Amino acid sequence: MLLAYRLALASPRICASAVEATEFPRLADEMDVTAVPTVVVNGAPQWAGSVPERAFLERVLAATFE
Amino acid sequence: MAIFRPEEQEKVREILTGLERPVELVVALGPEEGPVPGAPPDFDFGAETTRVVEELCALSESLSFRVEQEPEGVARFPAVLVRPEGEEVGVHYYGLPWGYELGSLLGAVIEAGKREPTLRPESLEALAGLDRDLSIDVFVTPT
Repeated sequence: MLLAYRLALASPRICASAVEATEFPRLADEMDVTAVPTVVVNGAPQWAGSVPERAFLERVLAATFE
Repeated sequence: MAIFRPEEQEKVREILTGLERPVELVVALGPEEGPVPGAPPDFDFGAETTRVVEELCALSESLSFRVEQEPEGVARFPAVLVRPEGEEVGVHYYGLPWGYELGSLLGAVIEAGKREPTLRPESLEALAGLDRDLSIDVFVTPT
């Protein structure tokens, strides 16, 4: 979660949110959340699990330009 | 019951001495999705979120909070908006930050309290070229 927050603090173009999955079960279902952390970029589920900064940024940017 | 045990209070207080600038927390309240599996039907997540944030803010003079009803741009409640020097920068927590996830909120506060970004220089360079808005939602659980 911290990496997403760091990205948001470093770029005015990025908004990062932690979403407590059990408290928003309908949204979690819509996003196919079956494990945590699950990362969703611009409303589209991307991957589950923690990754290092470089991979995190690469995946986020790749999803942005899909 | 207090959110932090006395020994935890001291630890968190010490961590918060590292804040380099003031951080404001906005507790956003509004209609909640409910029911939450496993939670009592009358459990007030908004009130509990306010209590967590209030206790956290009591541990540092650099931290402040206020409560807003359905602020603009917030679609789910409760939420906590983390604002360095009161500025909205897109750092949000949706839900009640308890258990393991209290650490996520604390992490957001610590990051927001830093004057300089903590990413690698290569990452900052890549972000500088970003020409469109981007939202990252990370689904978490408290256990």
